[in-house]
Parts: sequence; C-alpha cells; structure tokens
Amino acid sequence: MALSHAQRTQVWVGVGLYGYLIPILAVPILVVALWSFYDPAVGWFPPDILPRSLSVSAWKEVLADRQIIPTFFLSLFVSTVVTLLTAVLAFPTAWALAQFPFRLKRVVEIFVLAPMIVPGIVVAVSLGEVFFSLKLAGTVFGVILVQTVGTLPLMIRILAATLESIPNELILAARTLGASPRAAVMRIALPLAWPGFMAGGLLNFIASFEEFEKSFMVGAPKVQTLAVRLWAYLGGQILVLPTAAVVTFILLIPMLVIFFVAERVMREDVMAAGLGKL
Amino acid sequence: MDKSLSIRQLVKDFGTTRALKFVDLDVPAGSFTTLLGPSGCGKTTLLRAVAGITDPSSGEIYLGDRRIDRVMPEKRNFGLVFQTYALFPHMSVEKNIGFGLEMRRVAKPDAQRRVQAALELVGLGHLAKRLPRQLSGGQQQRVALARAIVIEPDVLLFDEPLSNLDAKLRDGLREDLRELQRQFGITSIYVTHDQSEAMALADEIVVMKDGEIVERGTPVDLYRRPAYRFTAEFLGLTNVIAADIAGSRCLLPWGAETRVENPGAKAAEGVAIRPEDIGITADPEGGGVVTHAVFMGASTHYNVDIAGLNLRVVAAGGQAAILEQGQRVNLTPPPALHLLQTFAPMREAAE
Amino acid sequence: MSKGINTVRASTIALLLLPGVGYLVLFFGLPLARVVLGSFAGRGKDAPLATLDAWQQLFANPVYLDGLWFSLWLGVAPTLLSLAVSLPLSALMQANESSRRFFGSLYRIPLVVPGIVAAFLVLVMLDRGGMLMRILTPLGLGLPKLVRDPVGLGAILASSWKTIPFMTLIISGSMAAISKDVIAAARTLGASRLVILLRIQLPLARPGITAAVLLSFIGSLGSFVIPNLLGPTYPLPLSVHMWSEGFQKGNWPLVYAMGTLLSVMSIAVLLAYYFLIGFLNRGEAEAQRLGARPRAGASRAPEALNANPA
Repeated sequence: MALSHAQRTQVWVGVGLYGYLIPILAVPILVVALWSFYDPAVGWFPPDILPRSLSVSAWKEVLADRQIIPTFFLSLFVSTVVTLLTAVLAFPTAWALAQFPFRLKRVVEIFVLAPMIVPGIVVAVSLGEVFFSLKLAGTVFGVILVQTVGTLPLMIRILAATLESIPNELILAARTLGASPRAAVMRIALPLAWPGFMAGGLLNFIASFEEFEKSFMVGAPKVQTLAVRLWAYLGGQILVLPTAAVVTFILLIPMLVIFFVAERVMREDVMAAGLGKL
Repeated sequence: MDKSLSIRQLVKDFGTTRALKFVDLDVPAGSFTTLLGPSGCGKTTLLRAVAGITDPSSGEIYLGDRRIDRVMPEKRNFGLVFQTYALFPHMSVEKNIGFGLEMRRVAKPDAQRRVQAALELVGLGHLAKRLPRQLSGGQQQRVALARAIVIEPDVLLFDEPLSNLDAKLRDGLREDLRELQRQFGITSIYVTHDQSEAMALADEIVVMKDGEIVERGTPVDLYRRPAYRFTAEFLGLTNVIAADIAGSRCLLPWGAETRVENPGAKAAEGVAIRPEDIGITADPEGGGVVTHAVFMGASTHYNVDIAGLNLRVVAAGGQAAILEQGQRVNLTPPPALHLLQTFAPMREAAE
Repeated sequence: MSKGINTVRASTIALLLLPGVGYLVLFFGLPLARVVLGSFAGRGKDAPLATLDAWQQLFANPVYLDGLWFSLWLGVAPTLLSLAVSLPLSALMQANESSRRFFGSLYRIPLVVPGIVAAFLVLVMLDRGGMLMRILTPLGLGLPKLVRDPVGLGAILASSWKTIPFMTLIISGSMAAISKDVIAAARTLGASRLVILLRIQLPLARPGITAAVLLSFIGSLGSFVIPNLLGPTYPLPLSVHMWSEGFQKGNWPLVYAMGTLLSVMSIAVLLAYYFLIGFLNRGEAEAQRLGARPRAGASRAPEALNANPA
C-alpha cells in the first residue's frame, strides 16, 4: 500500500484547502499585481491572459502624486493612535467584566456588543452629523474618535476573555503577599494578559487601517485615510485600473507585512473566545 | 475466532523522537494485561497504536491471524475507555452507550435492549436519560465502560481510566471493571503508571521504559523475582545492595549470609531485598542504627544505617515494640535472594 | 460591611467601567439615540416637533422598499454562501495538524484586506474583460454578468470573500475546542469522519457557528462600499440610499429612519440568536465547555441522585 490512511487524508485535506486558497486568494492578488505593472505603451487587453510587457509607469505616477505618501503616513498615525487609545480604554472595563460579578453585568456586556451589531454605516452617520456640529468633522481627531467606537467592543471582549482565563488565585496570592489591588493588576494581570493585548491590538490596527465608512463620513473630504483615497480612485467616473492597482498595493502591503510578521498572534482560540459566543 | 493480540516490531516516531522501539508483545486471548511504566515510557502510544488512533511508523499488529495495523479504527471493533471519560456531552447516557450500536446499524429494539442491559451491568440502570454533566466522575466512567462493552468488542483498551477519580471510588470501580472483563472474557490491555493498580488487576504486567518492554510476568513473579533493577524499584519499595556472590552463597555488607536463588545470572547488578523481607530486632551490639521510624498502623517503616548503607525495613504490625530513632538493631535477610541483571536498552538511533 | 480581600465596592466597579462604557455611551449610545429620535423629526423651518413623515417616505416609496429587500438579500446570500464554504473548510482544518498550521495562517489574509480591495479584486477578476473571462473564452465558456448585475452577484461574491475567513476562524476555533478524546472515542465506536462531523463536531460547535452566522449577516447587511462599487444601479441597498439621501440631498430624517430600521433588524437577529441558544438547551454552552476541557476532578455531587454506585 503506497500511502497510509493518515497520509491519504493529508493529501485530500491539502487538495481541499489549497483548492480554495489558490483561485480565491493567490490568483486575484497576482492579477492585481500584474495590473500595477501595466505598460501603457502596449496595453493588456483580452484575450491576453498574461501581459505582454511590464512597466513601472503606474507606480511612478501614483508615488509622484504628492498626496499618496502623506496619506499613507496619516493612516499609520491614525491607526496607531486608535489602537493605543482603544487598549487604554478597554482594559479597565474588561477587567471589571472579567473579575467581578455584578448585577448589571449582562446589560453591560450587551451594550458593549451593540456597536458590533448595529451596522457601521449607521454609527458613521450618527456621528457624522454630531461631529459636524461640534466642528470635529474633517479633523484627524474626529476620525480617531469615530474609529475607536468600532474597535473598542472587540478589544473589550478579547481582553475580557483573556483576563477570565487568568486564575483568580494568582491575584489573591499577590494580594496576600502584600500587593495593593492596583499593584496586583498592573504587575500580575497585565503582563499575563499580554497575548490578548497583542491579538486585539493587531486586529484593531488592521481594522482601523482598512476602515472606510466611518472615516469617510467624518473625515472626507478634508481628511482622507488611505482607504478613503482608494475609494476615490475606484469610485470615480473612469476607472483607471493600473492606478487603482497600485493604490491597492500601497494599502495592502503594510497589512500583509504585519500579518505575516505577527499572524501567530491572531490565534484562533482568542478570536473564538472574543467572538464565539455572544 | 482467536482473539489474541500480537504486536510485532512496532516502531513509532514523533519527528526525531522514537516513542516505541521495535516492541514485540503477545497478549493471550481473554487475558488482562497491564502496561506499566513511568510517563513517557510509550505505554499510551502503544495502546493508541493498537486502537488505531495513532499510526505506527513501522511494524505489524495482528488480531488472531488477521493483520489489523492498516485497518481504520472505526473498523477494528475495539472498545476504548479513556482517562477523561470522553463521553459525548450533548448526548444522554443511553445515547452515548447506544452510539456504537447505531454505527453498526443494530435494529432499534435490539439496541435498546442491549443498552439497558449494559446499564444494569454497571449499576446505572436508572440514569439512562441523564446528560454526562449531571453525573459524578465515577458514574461517567461507568457509562464509558458500558459504552465500550455493549458493542461486544474483540479487545478492550483502557487508558489510565481511574486516574481522574479519587481513591475510594477507584478501588470500587477497579474491582467492577475486572469482574466484567472476567465475565465476558474479553482480551484486555490496561495502561497505568500506578504499580499497585497494575498488581491488583493484571493477569500479566508488562513493564515499559523509554519505548521498550523491560520485562513481563505475573504480579507475583515480577514482585518477588524481578529480573532488572528498574522493575524491582518500580514495583514497590526495595533495597538494591551490592553483595559478594560466590556460587550460590551471598555475603551481605554487614556480615549476614544468605543464598542466591538464581546464581549464574549474567551481568549481575546486585541483589534486591524487599523491605518487608528483612527481619529487624533490637540489639545493643547490632551493626545497624535506626535513623527514622514511621508508624503506619498495619506496619512500621524504618530507615536503618548499616555498613555504610541506608536501608528501608518494614516490620509488620502486631504487638512488637516500635523501635526508636537511634536504637541499635540487627538485620536478618531472607533465606533466598534474587540476583538482578543489567538491563541493556536498545540503541537510540534508528537503523 | 466588613471588607475582605475579595470585596469590591460598587463605586470601584463603576470607575473601572467608566473609560470603556463611558466612551461608548458618549460616542455611540447617545448618537444612536439621536438617530432614532431624529427619524421622527420634521424637515424645514415650520416642521412639527415629532412626525412620522420620514417613516412614511420610507415605507411608501417602492424605491426604498426594494432597497430594504435588497439589503436583506445582500445580508443573507453572502452569509449562506460563506457558511457553505466555511463548514467544510473548518472541518478539513481539524483533520490534520500540520496542514492546519500552514494553511491556518494563509486563509486569514482576507481579514486584513479592506472591503474596497475585495471589491476591486472582484472587478479585476470577474468583470467583463476580467481575468476569469479571459481564461474561459478560449475554452468556449461564457460568464454571466457579475458586476453591476441585477442580482448583485458580484457584491455577494466580494462580501463572501471577506466573510469566509471570518466565519472559518470562529467555527474552526469552536471545533478545535472539542476534546480530542471525544473524537477518538467516536472513531473507535465505528463512526466515519462524516458521521463525526455531523453528529459530534457540528452539534458541539453550534454556539460558535450561530455567532459567526449572526455577525456575518449583520456585517453584510450594513455594507456600503461593496454594493456601491459592484452592485446594480437599481435596486440600491438602504446603506447606499442613506449616503445619497444624506450627503447629496440632506434629507436627514429619512436617513435616520433608514438607519433605525437597519439597526432594529440587526438587533432583532441578535435577539433571535439569544432565543435560539437559550431555548435549545439551557446548559448547552456548559456542555460544550465540558466537552472541551476534561474535568480532572473526582466525584461531584450531582443535583438529584440518591444512593447509587460510585
């Protein structure tokens, strides 16, 4: 018998999984990459499956656009601030939810869940008008505030799940050894909750970087994140594929870099804990 | 059909670690064989290979004269009882037990009858509709046992089934388990790291270490006449003493003399004397000094310094006076001793 | 009240909750209330204080009603498609440890890809003149219109593209939490892999599956960018209407009415979820927990059992 049963299973599993991955993921990204190297002198028309020649002219054109690089850094800045702000706001709340039973706990849990349930565009619209009257519309600060509304619920849930898994005895032991409640939290619980911070933080950063609806409603047209900029390229009257492809990659590459560097942080068990039961 | 189990040259590698090294084992039909050893010795790996849950890297397994190592676990008709009970949490007790029958497409009325009979066998007839989480650990394990037996398996495999239970429950369930196995005469393999459990249950104990079988034998044989030091030390307390051997005469370091019952054993490694086989008497001129004495009720455990050794001695209860720390004593060896041989483990590297 | 090491004052809890919950109240709860109330506002200088005008506009106008159905369609269809793909994917990933590790990281890539890019990928691949067409034409096969088509297939595919890894993550995590011994027990009892999937894994992963379905539906229901770029010009989902009515026409009460309606639908789905979960089996979540982590404990006194062995 050529292959054992386990090996045969492995082959089938591989076929199924890669049969999904390659056409759904690898091929489209490859095609977009090829479009970004479109050669305007030759063009890439049907029925050609592969372009006949490549050129970096689209890249040059986009990078020469004086707004792209600042927009990129603006997005980075916004996402970083949003991630940090979310972590700081989420931790005390997650701690309270994880450690203490209190009467209104379920109500608080549902309220924290609510921004994930109500469609993002409704949240965006609700804040768009409010911020307009507060003169926060079209400001970076406004965009940061509105994005945090979207990232906070997930961070609270992930942190609460992580903190719940810390045995209560550890905190008690610290207290009996003389630690004040605050010290016990900062020196024991916080470090142990680090995986939750990493996982949630990464998810938040990515969610914020690619977020569209809220940033658009509050920021545009004065403040544009990279995602909003891409929409401008894609939603215009004439779709210039190569340009859009380049901007797509500018948006995508940092995400992929973060992803591969830190993907093990986006653990299944953390996600399942944060989202698996509502 | 011959329900004896034969394992031939079984090897299991996990990456670069070899968990099983060319293991050969014959388990007679209807017998109760225990695999005993410390953690990491390969006993669980061996059991799982027999069950089909783990694929061996090489080697063969036979049930009777039918080769089964390539047969998928769902087709082997082996019953498996887990340390963690592994009951299906979303199914009632009777559905759990009936699951194997359902897979075998047994007709409903038949299946129901058999499930009920199995429940009665383990004494849980009134709990048919409960869910596993409503049962105690001991009850869950009984359900697991019923589930494994009801399918009339060719072989029963136990993976440390009593380890999660507390001591009192353990003894009761252990007896019931053995009784059931005897009643149905199912070939059984039982994995444990607890030597007293192995001795209480087994027809034959197979001692394992580092992926290979050290030796096998009945509990009495292994206890009284262990071939190797590892076996002697694993099965209960023992003293291993380097002694002067001349023919069948044995001279112990403190001057006492006795016989060796297996003279000429190759590559000798000293003698093993069980603590309960050493006589201890108070003697102001004696060569030994009691360093430690613990009264255990049915017996008293002593530590005695003698001739540069520190020996464990166990004196049976009764009315004898308890000796005190610092008291001088005389130690009397048993009339015959067993010589230990040096165990030669298999090479680490793969061929 | 004596203070032990474990007593915590209510005020402390409130203080701890303040940053997170307070922020959400301020920037989510209150604005949302404004939206709901605003849907009853009137327009114009002489507008009455509360009116059902906006609601009437919403329900009386067939354009918006079509939009409502289309929103629901764009919520349901990607969810069903994603479920059909996620379940086998999650099951496949349980089968083998090593492929799970490698594949496990790759399949999550769409999670970090913005919806816009997903839409763009669909455009590039599936539009007329797109890559798929170029591959199929020499084979003599054709492709239906997938972008700006009346059914919104392109939008559905793009939404599914993003939803599948999300669902797979949650469902696979739920399945992985099932004790390996339970699966092994089923195998030795004679269950084939298919039976194990249907009778053991799916039932025990049901809370996770339901949550994944719920979140996916809600996400697709309110999606704006994908239908905006790929969807047909008619009907438009409510989310797109909200944008055009608001930013292009300034009819805010109508926008708020649409927003309120979408929110109500989403919350209704959440409540249905709670009802289903609570109704089906009160202790099912606990059963799943117990199936996941073996109790390394001895006996524990069960609720109502009298003299019984062991």
